[in-house]
Amino acid sequence: MKIRQLWERPETRFLILFLTILGISFTVVALQSVDQAFVLPFTTMVAQVSGQLLILFGEEMTVSGCQLTSPRFAVTIYNGCNGLITSLIFISGVLAFPARWPAKILGVLGGLLAIQAINLVRIISLFYIGIYLPDLFNSSHIFIWQSIVILFGVGLWMLWADRFASPHPPGSD
Amino acid sequence: MKRTRVAGTFVKKLPLTLLIAMLVWLAIRPVLDTGVTGLTEILIRAFEYPRVTRLEAVDHRARVFRSDFRSDSSIPTIPLTEIHFNTIVLLALFLALPKRFSRKNLERLAMAWFLLYLAQTLNLFLHVKCIYALNLGDWSQQTYSNFSRNFYGFWRYFTDLPGRFSFPFVFWLAFFWEQALGMLTTQPQSKQAAKKGS
Repeated sequence: MKIRQLWERPETRFLILFLTILGISFTVVALQSVDQAFVLPFTTMVAQVSGQLLILFGEEMTVSGCQLTSPRFAVTIYNGCNGLITSLIFISGVLAFPARWPAKILGVLGGLLAIQAINLVRIISLFYIGIYLPDLFNSSHIFIWQSIVILFGVGLWMLWADRFASPHPPGSD
Repeated sequence: MKRTRVAGTFVKKLPLTLLIAMLVWLAIRPVLDTGVTGLTEILIRAFEYPRVTRLEAVDHRARVFRSDFRSDSSIPTIPLTEIHFNTIVLLALFLALPKRFSRKNLERLAMAWFLLYLAQTLNLFLHVKCIYALNLGDWSQQTYSNFSRNFYGFWRYFTDLPGRFSFPFVFWLAFFWEQALGMLTTQPQSKQAAKKGS
């Protein structure tokens, strides 16, 4: 099969575009300058918002950088816990899928908000799991919540593609 | 024409299939620990001379032994749960598909799972190489170049974060493209089909 024919198959085109966008975006966020200028402030912001929500729930929280501390428990939010990975994967999926640009922009913005919302639920739930079910903290942190967040991203992408994907790839007409 | 929301049904099934996939993964976790550790050991020993590395799965962690370590050296370990937990995601996505237990779909699952297993092995391989290149003090400095350290570090990062999270989705979509896209009310066409239709 010729490369051109392979490229014309929608699944091949999607997967190549998806992996390329994913590769570029993760390379960019791995750069130290981008990490300092964007990833770290973003993670700090996630910690601040989580801290404010926990204060609303009646916790005595102190937020210092990416660390949330209360007399009952403390968590530190690292790069892998800020929702950025799932967001980048979701954005790559939206950008690689054939759809019109307004639909893609809507998908990216809506998806980012939804993924950040579930990530806040994750952080807050992990805080309370750390207090009330400390034996389950590692399991919840590593495989339960990570699986939930990935599947949430995939589900969101399916719903977006279902409602907004174009039957004709842009540039085909 | 009435639009059927098959994609919506798929998404609604995901919480239940996640639970089933998690139970399956917990049941086969020791097998995955041994399988990933075993293949990684073969891969590492294939590229080293003399062959000194031995990996052992204990308590869901890979213990990295080298026969040239001093006997009082601490033994580095790598958590295996983080390496292969993404099997849960692949299984959950598969179980949420319509007509999932047909022979064709099971064959596709086997192929997707095998590729995911290879990706997990590569991830563990890069973790071990990073321990060798970065964490063993003077020995690491003398044995590995700066290029090697950057090379292994970059690819470990890549298989750790984007890889672990996206590979189950990529392999699922690659092997079940027709079923997955068949669930959408609007589906992308090949360029040739789009041209014929217009």
